Amino acid sequence: MSNIALEVRDLCAGYGDRQILKNVSFTVSPDDFFAIIGPSGAGKSTLIRCVNRLVEPTGGSVRLNGEEILDIGQRALRLARRNIGMIFQEFNLIERLSVLDNVLAGRLGHTGTTRSLFRMFRREDIAQALTLLDRVGLTDHVHKRADRLSGGQRQRVGIARALMQNPRLLLVDEPTSALDPKIAREVMGLIREVARERRIPVLCNIHDVKLALDFCSHIIGLQDGVKKFEGRPADLNEKAMHDIYALEVL
Amino acid sequence: MTAATLEPSSALDRRIDAIARERRTTRRSRLASLAVALALVLGTVYAIVIKDTDWARLTWQSVATSLARFAEFDTSALPGLVDPAIDTALMATLASFLGLFLALPVAWLGARNITPLGRASYVFGRGLMTLSRSVHEIVWALIFVSAVGLGVLAGILAMAVRSVGFISKVIAEAIEDVQPGPIEAIRAVGGTKFQILWYGIVPQVLPVVLGTVIFEWDINIRRSTIMGLVGAGGLGLVLFREMARSNYGGIATVLAAVLALIIVGEFVSHYARKAII
Repeated sequence: MSNIALEVRDLCAGYGDRQILKNVSFTVSPDDFFAIIGPSGAGKSTLIRCVNRLVEPTGGSVRLNGEEILDIGQRALRLARRNIGMIFQEFNLIERLSVLDNVLAGRLGHTGTTRSLFRMFRREDIAQALTLLDRVGLTDHVHKRADRLSGGQRQRVGIARALMQNPRLLLVDEPTSALDPKIAREVMGLIREVARERRIPVLCNIHDVKLALDFCSHIIGLQDGVKKFEGRPADLNEKAMHDIYALEVL
Repeated sequence: MTAATLEPSSALDRRIDAIARERRTTRRSRLASLAVALALVLGTVYAIVIKDTDWARLTWQSVATSLARFAEFDTSALPGLVDPAIDTALMATLASFLGLFLALPVAWLGARNITPLGRASYVFGRGLMTLSRSVHEIVWALIFVSAVGLGVLAGILAMAVRSVGFISKVIAEAIEDVQPGPIEAIRAVGGTKFQILWYGIVPQVLPVVLGTVIFEWDINIRRSTIMGLVGAGGLGLVLFREMARSNYGGIATVLAAVLALIIVGEFVSHYARKAII
């Protein structure tokens, strides 16, 4: 098996004559933790959502473990999405359901309609959900409603839900911007740890450059839909920062 | 991969068993309530529909022939429907605006978070809403006929008063659900109670208010068709005339005109909402 988990080639996206992503290319290995940084409106969120096609790209190619994602039908796309976990900025939990049911929702891609209707999750799924909730430090909150938790706890539920998919890629969209700085570092640390334990590559949007430098192994700098920088955190010097954020400096 | 994270421990097993038990109990009690509800429905259907219907008279053929009589549209009635249709639309519009005008203070009283005199005014406001909704529009119409006499005015008043309950209830609930942030901001800049209402609450509930009034207008067009009963004119009067003549084709034509009017209203409200909201 090749050592490339995710390969993005010449990815373009936009609507009408407004181009949001312009020929973005990069490759991610199984052990990589990619941060995507850049000013607001640079297309960070669109880039992440093009990988699981929550946003439809207008051109290019996205390959996950060698399999093309962009030209497949709705059913194949659904099956491909089962292998891609996603963590959201506003957590996107189902507020009225329990923490446990929110985590179990991560298995819905593998659960039939009848079982979903009566919430009859398999025993091994419940076992995995409980183990994951222990792992993210929510042992005591399993039966609470999701809307009773604090921000940091909710994001931990989001992480557990994504891991419940046993994903082969984690997409992470601004996981910390709704959290305070201390909790933000805890959440980033947790994402890095669980990804390492399971060898899941991570693609993470983050506007906080300091967090990107501290937690990620690679950095992509986007500006106005164009990739302006790619490298290790150590390579992100003054000039690279200027290239990425030039518009804001002006 | 899963096997590594899932260590078979008896503690974990016990937790899963507890969850499985609880889920089974929940499922059973839900199924039980569903069964009770189903039994109630079937029982009711038996008691008031099956026993009460004259099944001897009811054959597929009798139903079909009765319905077929309505299918023969009486197109000769069409030219005489234009003016009544306009009357109906105007009546419904007037009644809806009057209903909104009356509903605003009722919503103010009946919204728990802004009601002026605490519990007393809240209960009074909610009482007005219930009163408006619990009396049928025909009964309201009869009340207003005895007050102002037969005619369009009685019909408009009846529809307006009947509209108050629904409009004010929806507005009051929207007011109770407003985001506290803007209100806090207006209070923080030193705003008066009126300014809080006007800047913090009204902009937040305006889309709900407009949407509700437009929906109520649509309902009032239908209501106005039976206001013919109190001589309120419009399509309703034509409808009752055709009914009195047992002219089924004519009835169908009037109903088609009502449908057309409501479809036009649907377009108008769609664009009105887009323009305003």
